Amino acid sequence: MSNPMEQFVIKPIIPLKIGDVDVSFTNSSLFMVIAVVACTAMFALCLRKRSLVPNAAQSLVESLYEFVHNLLKENVGMEGLKYFPFIFTVFTFVAFGNVLGLFPYAFTFTSHLTAVGCLSLIALLFNICIGIKKKKIGWLRTFLPRGIPLALAPLIVPIEMISFLSKPFSLTVRLVANMTVGHIMLKIIAGFIVGLGVLGAVPLLFDSAIICFEIFISLLQAFIYTVLSCIYLGDAIHEH
Amino acid sequence: MPQLDFSVFPSQFFWLTICFFTLLFIMSKFIIPKLGEMINLRKEKIDSELATAERLKKQVEEGIERYETALREASQKANLALQKTKDELNDTVNRKQSDLAARLNAEIAQGEQRIEAAKSKALQKIEEASVDLAVDVLAKFGISKVSAEKVRKTIAGLEGE
Repeated sequence: MSNPMEQFVIKPIIPLKIGDVDVSFTNSSLFMVIAVVACTAMFALCLRKRSLVPNAAQSLVESLYEFVHNLLKENVGMEGLKYFPFIFTVFTFVAFGNVLGLFPYAFTFTSHLTAVGCLSLIALLFNICIGIKKKKIGWLRTFLPRGIPLALAPLIVPIEMISFLSKPFSLTVRLVANMTVGHIMLKIIAGFIVGLGVLGAVPLLFDSAIICFEIFISLLQAFIYTVLSCIYLGDAIHEH
Repeated sequence: MPQLDFSVFPSQFFWLTICFFTLLFIMSKFIIPKLGEMINLRKEKIDSELATAERLKKQVEEGIERYETALREASQKANLALQKTKDELNDTVNRKQSDLAARLNAEIAQGEQRIEAAKSKALQKIEEASVDLAVDVLAKFGISKVSAEKVRKTIAGLEGE
């Protein structure tokens, strides 16, 4: 039986170096590009024939739009709608990364700490920029909420900093862990199908059920990632 | 675990940033405006049509109210007119009836008078005839000296008894 972790190995496809840094185009990069292309293609295809009374394809993408729109409105408020493109892109990018990874021989870039970590880092930087732009110097209040005596600052500030920085970390780990575990399970059970011969029908059925479940998990995790991004964005915009 | 291999970090970071911002660009420049435009257009249309429906409904309700008021007024007017006509008819009938009764009474009275007159005339004639008859009877008996005047007096004297 092949190693179930093998599917996560990153292999360079086109070696590339900028200065001393290795930025090779890898199988992971390939699937990021595929996600972007697939996402664009899906939206372009669904919006090809736009009409006031939508057909099935149009209402699919419109319901995605309204779904994220409502999410943002509920968690951040009307002023959060300015950042709708960012949140919508996060949602579609993660959802496509997750779902594309379920195809046989596909690579799941959302199962990699480095990839999702980067995305969370981008979101964190985005939140910091918005926070500073909105509250100016008052943004530093994030680390020392109002009403806390100054004497407690040496204690509170590190705690708040850790809590602030742990948000993207928890976002990343949650998504990566879910994606990794699902794929390992699929792979292990798939190994049994071949190994058991005729009796392999049992794990085959089981695997089929799991893959349905995994599709659901993929979308759910994309949703959770988006919700939490919204909540962190809300924290950045509003007072504590 | 390949996930913990941080040597790929620069490559991952580089490509993820490119891909993410490319998608962000495509989304915010092309897809989201198209999506939003259509959704807003639909929302506006639905809202405006709802408003139109609301307005029409109001108009209809006002129309119904006007119609009912008019109907009520018309029926009141009709009732009044009916009552008036009925009263007039009653008046006319009563007047005509009383006229007729008066005329009939008058005619009856006249008739009675005429009958009375005829009766007294007839009685007079009977008297004269009986006087003549008495004179004639007396003449037959050969008494011709008795005048009609005397006979009349005698009869009158008889009637008086």
